[in-house]
Amino acid sequence: MNNTQDKPETIGPPGRGVRVLVSVLVSLHIVAVFLGPFAMPPQTSELAATLADVYRPYVDGLSLANGYRFFAPEPGPSHLVRYELTFDDGSTEPGEFPNRDSNWPRLLYHRYFMMSEFLNTLSNPDAPSERRDRYVRSYARHLLAEHGAKSVKLTLVRHWVPRMDEVRQGRKLTDKVLYEERSLGTFEREAS
Amino acid sequence: MSSATTYVRDWGADVAAGWNRFWFEPTDPATLAAIRICTGVMLLYTHLVWGLELTTFFGPDGWLQADAVRFLQGESYAWSYLWWFESPAALWTVHIAALVVFAMLTVGLYTRVVSILAFIAALSYFGRATGALFGLDQINVMLAMYLCVGRSGDAFSLDRWRAARKAGHPLPVRRSWSSNVAIRLIQLHMCVIYMFAGMAKLTGPAWWDGNAMWMAFGNLEYQSLDMTWMADWPRLMNLMAHVTVFWELFYVALVWPRLTRPIVLLLAIPLHLGIAICLGMITFGVIMLVGNLAFVAPELTRAVVGRAPTGQGRGAPSDGPTHPAGKAKRRRDKSRSAK
Repeated sequence: MNNTQDKPETIGPPGRGVRVLVSVLVSLHIVAVFLGPFAMPPQTSELAATLADVYRPYVDGLSLANGYRFFAPEPGPSHLVRYELTFDDGSTEPGEFPNRDSNWPRLLYHRYFMMSEFLNTLSNPDAPSERRDRYVRSYARHLLAEHGAKSVKLTLVRHWVPRMDEVRQGRKLTDKVLYEERSLGTFEREAS
Repeated sequence: MSSATTYVRDWGADVAAGWNRFWFEPTDPATLAAIRICTGVMLLYTHLVWGLELTTFFGPDGWLQADAVRFLQGESYAWSYLWWFESPAALWTVHIAALVVFAMLTVGLYTRVVSILAFIAALSYFGRATGALFGLDQINVMLAMYLCVGRSGDAFSLDRWRAARKAGHPLPVRRSWSSNVAIRLIQLHMCVIYMFAGMAKLTGPAWWDGNAMWMAFGNLEYQSLDMTWMADWPRLMNLMAHVTVFWELFYVALVWPRLTRPIVLLLAIPLHLGIAICLGMITFGVIMLVGNLAFVAPELTRAVVGRAPTGQGRGAPSDGPTHPAGKAKRRRDKSRSAK
């Protein structure tokens, strides 16, 4: 039997110089990993923001600027985008996303779900509205091009979750009172 | 020398020794290789799904048009090579190239090179798709980043199989310090993720009054299973909300001790599978479990995956002393040799 099968091959540990260098690099990296969520707006301290500014190229470059606030501060209502396309002949066609019937597999559905949720995030009164407006126009331009429509009317729909006691008393998750609509505007096809 | 000086000197020596052991002790790459395979599969699947509507998302008339995304990113250093490719033909070319890279990463072919390419590709989709991203993408990129650091192709890979074939006999386990660094970085990153996930929940009243879990399960747009019946079990909903917060908050401390690590990791399974199955985020639930794999000892990984084609013979070394299974094995070996 070949003894090399039993005896492991070992690479390292490294010499002192490499250990020092790697120790410095991993320490700096761990600080960046921590700063990503620690300095995430809206609630952040001046100290965290200052440190984050120093680290910004590294944190942004490696996509470490994530809050990791999964379902926090708490799971809220969900958001959908409803649209109504109007064509040159005057006919109309409704639609919405996310849409379980057309967005399949589930991961694709979730991409559409995140797009509608993202519009709501950008609708935060503290956030510059120009950012939301650009995304709304991007969605509108896509719908117009995709369907060859003359205009499209977009609406952001907020769908609240009923309380447990309301459900026990018979309220359905699809009850109309749980939906709120807010117009995002009507957009015309741009002249080519 | 005063006792205080001796204490400080000994303490410093202990810290240095602990630091070196933590980061630089060579380790069996089995767990890192398992993470490579799972991450590779997830990257491949994630990007195959992007491919279903590639130009619909990223084309000139796509959902995520350049002017909106770039305006939002502002002065951010986020970047993506996808900005260089607008036409459908060019987009498809680089997309197929990315799929090939992810497939090569999965099977471990030219792993050192493709792990770097896979990270660049994953990062590029992350930098381009602002507005359609969620936790899955964050963890995909994170794991791809650390796979560049360690020698993940040194086990369960075509690279290793080819090397054994060339040598004409099975190869021994190749332990390396860089595999240990990669595993440590994933472990620490997972701790940061859960710590901030738990801390952020403390600011939400629904996590305190126990209604948060219902607010997720009762959300029609998230539901992949009809969980509305859970409204009849309010205390169960409360318990699940409280356990989630405590588990996330204390993960950073309890995942390290040998006594509590298996409990913490076992709790991760229902938590993340619950998200996967009930809230329709199968990919996210699974990739979080893949991240948790970093805390599984390589011996256990080998036992589960089975003897690799490259072979690990009897008497092969255990993992570093920080892995519970490794410590236990060393204790057994020591007591046997003492007898």
